[in-house]
Amino acid sequence: MAQAIRNAKVPPNSVNLEEARQRVFEFFRSACRSLPTVMEVYNLYDVATISQLRSTIAAEIRKNDHITNPKVIDLLLFKGLEELKNVVNHSKQRHHIVGQYVVGRRGLEQQELAAKEQGISNFLKNFYNSNYS
Amino acid sequence: MGLGLLASKAMRPTASRLLNFQNPNNLLLRTIVSKPELRKPEPAAAQPEAPLVDLSPRTPVGGARVHFSNPEDAIEVFVDGFPVKIPKGFSVLQACEVAGVDIPRFCYHSRLSIAGNCRMCLVEVEKSPKPVASCAMPALPGMKIKTDTPVAKKAREGVMEFLLMNHPLDCPICDQGGECDLQDQSMAFGSDRGRFTDMKRSVVDKNLGPLVKTVMTRCIQCTRCVRFASEVAGVQDLGMLGRGSGEEIGTYVEKLMTSELSGNVIDICPVGALTSKPFAFKARNWELKGTETIDVTDAVGSNIRIDSRGPEVLRIVPRLNEDINEEWISDKTRFCYDGLKRQRLNDPMIRGPDGRFKPVNWGDALAVVAEAAHQVKPEEIVGISGKLSDAESMIVLKDFLNRMGSNNVWGEGISENTNADLRSGYIMNTSIAGLEKADAFLLVGTQPRVEAAMVNARIRKTVTSNHAKVGYVGPATDFNYDHQHLGTGPQTLVEIAEGRHPFSKIISNAKHPVIIVGAGIFERKDQDAIFAAIETIAKQGNVVRSDWNGLNVLLLHAAQAAALDLGLVPQSEKSLESAKFVYLMGADDTNIDKIPKDAFVVYQGHHGDKSVYRADVILPAAAFSEKEGTYENTEGCTQQTWPAVPTVGDSRDDWKIIRALSEVAGVRLPYDTIGGVRSRLRNVAPNLAQMDEREPAALPSSLRPTFTQKVDPTPFGVAVENFYMTDAITRASKIMAQCSAMLLKK
Ligand code: SF4
Ligand code: FES
Repeated sequence: MAQAIRNAKVPPNSVNLEEARQRVFEFFRSACRSLPTVMEVYNLYDVATISQLRSTIAAEIRKNDHITNPKVIDLLLFKGLEELKNVVNHSKQRHHIVGQYVVGRRGLEQQELAAKEQGISNFLKNFYNSNYS
Repeated sequence: MGLGLLASKAMRPTASRLLNFQNPNNLLLRTIVSKPELRKPEPAAAQPEAPLVDLSPRTPVGGARVHFSNPEDAIEVFVDGFPVKIPKGFSVLQACEVAGVDIPRFCYHSRLSIAGNCRMCLVEVEKSPKPVASCAMPALPGMKIKTDTPVAKKAREGVMEFLLMNHPLDCPICDQGGECDLQDQSMAFGSDRGRFTDMKRSVVDKNLGPLVKTVMTRCIQCTRCVRFASEVAGVQDLGMLGRGSGEEIGTYVEKLMTSELSGNVIDICPVGALTSKPFAFKARNWELKGTETIDVTDAVGSNIRIDSRGPEVLRIVPRLNEDINEEWISDKTRFCYDGLKRQRLNDPMIRGPDGRFKPVNWGDALAVVAEAAHQVKPEEIVGISGKLSDAESMIVLKDFLNRMGSNNVWGEGISENTNADLRSGYIMNTSIAGLEKADAFLLVGTQPRVEAAMVNARIRKTVTSNHAKVGYVGPATDFNYDHQHLGTGPQTLVEIAEGRHPFSKIISNAKHPVIIVGAGIFERKDQDAIFAAIETIAKQGNVVRSDWNGLNVLLLHAAQAAALDLGLVPQSEKSLESAKFVYLMGADDTNIDKIPKDAFVVYQGHHGDKSVYRADVILPAAAFSEKEGTYENTEGCTQQTWPAVPTVGDSRDDWKIIRALSEVAGVRLPYDTIGGVRSRLRNVAPNLAQMDEREPAALPSSLRPTFTQKVDPTPFGVAVENFYMTDAITRASKIMAQCSAMLLKK
């Protein structure tokens, strides 16, 4: 699988939104298929699981779910593919992966949490934070 | 303190003089004394010198205070020319202490009898031909004591040399290193060279059980441990075998030391012969941070110091408090600390549909609990606080449940008809120190030796010093002092109350009679009748009068007195059986089978103990070593714990958890800081705000129904089955498990 990604070519532009959509799914699948290799290459077993990484990828894709212009989608796909290539080719190092997709992901969660914390007292905010604030 | 000072005093002129050997004899004589003037010391001349010394009042050693019970008995002695007034009967050593001079010592201990066998405390007394052992010599009027003369110094050097003759050079591998009397005093008073070239003697180590490690070669035969065991602990386990250089401390036969106070020999042993087994080779004492706090494993509230390094509690040692624990603590207090590291809850957890716990974050856990609490009727909400809960968390729990509309909140060990209205009805009115005055004891359904070892030590002290009579009603049990076993059940009480029992005479003849009732009786259905009988006995024996209140209740756990002060008493027996939402705040000794199957159970606590098996949500809390909490002991003295180490994992202080939960549940409690909770406490129970003070209860007016109900003839039960394992912390402790396996008589 990894070999296929390494040799992936930039496809021609998508003609319509439907095609772009299909390409996104393709991209997601190939990314998912490369995850076992990624786990192996970067030795992520003790910090993340495949399913966590998968949902990280899905979340990254969903971040752009409001985009309807196929050209923009093509560009984002291109960038995604580039990133995926870099990852699979081991052009990155472990801490990049951990920082961006494992811990960075938690940061995202915390942002969501912060949104939930609107309208609660300072006491409760500190309480959630730690015992000593 | 004094030792460092003395050391510098002793050393100052030495160094330079030793270096230049002006006298060729110095080389030939191979002398041991460190200073030329010590080689042929002359007794200090008895000239009636005008005191050249500074006569301004000095501070007594360790803040020693003298109390003159009878002003005529005061005598005056001179310590290094400085006059001091002391009561008759003081020893020379005590007189020196009052004068602010610290005399080196090994065998003397102010709470033990005087042995006078180490000879380290020699001082010169004018007109006496030889130096005298100051600990054993009574001070006489006009005595002129010299503590700083060449004779005294040479005597100390000599003693030191003899002691070190057979003491191994173990200091680098000795656990006592750094807090060793022998080390300190040989630095201060010893010679800087030895003449000893032979082999040192060695002694076989003894096995004293899982708590005390022995390295008997290090023993200097001061016999403090022997005296402690027989005088304070009341067990004749330790003794001295052999004579002369064959002298050994041992247990005569292969036997373990089975006292509940055995750990104290570690503190009193001046050298490293008796050290703590669990602490062996764990740390050096100068690496440790000491936190002065109190103990919560029983209702005595012994004052302790928690020694920690980083996040780990490494040992617990006693702190002096004359009113509560003197300077001893029980083995459970001292060695339970390894339980603080095991079985800890560190994340909030929710039980999933598969019955396994899943760690979640605080927000989710509290949301689940709040949701569940809102789905049941207010009457179906029940809260129980545990044995180790502090007063703050109990009042917050009560406030929270009240705001949820429920009043079903109580503390463990308190049952429906427990009297919480009259404070005198549940605390130790005589006070622990006050027990020393007593001359007759009636113990009702209580085994003080296992329920409150420090109170038992006081009773023992009283029995040995006043020859107080002890009568005991309850199941057969162990006592370490003379007692009469009067009976096993409440009928005996009735007999005493009706004057049909010989012991009624003893009570009514006693000047200071004391009745101690065990809190185990709170669990009985007929407790009103029993208390009525006891009050009758008290009335007939004149136990409660304006100058003496001898009617006591001995509580069982640290939270009980405060819980009763705050009125955490169950409204009805049945409320637990019909509960749908149960909040267990550290309650591990509640019968969890009584909780209905469909109830939602929240467990807030620090250990994965019994109740966790039934819990649906776990909220991790801080243990007593990690939080600031108010506790009231059995005599009504309010004290506070201080955090020694940080909390484990993601746990929080108890009161904060409930405060946060109240907000998530939409019934926000009006305090945000511990200060806020304390001012709420002050409103409910003002005595809980008076730190370190014993608030005596007002004299009771008899409000109980007198002798109306029939007592239930079932004998009294045993409240504490296993001394070593009574609560979540001690049950998690490996050392306590070893103790119960090896030391409890089966
Ligand atoms: S073991 Fe310690 S306390 Fe006991 S006699 Fe020896 S030195 Fe003294
Ligand atoms: S302290 Fe006086 S002889 Fe030991």
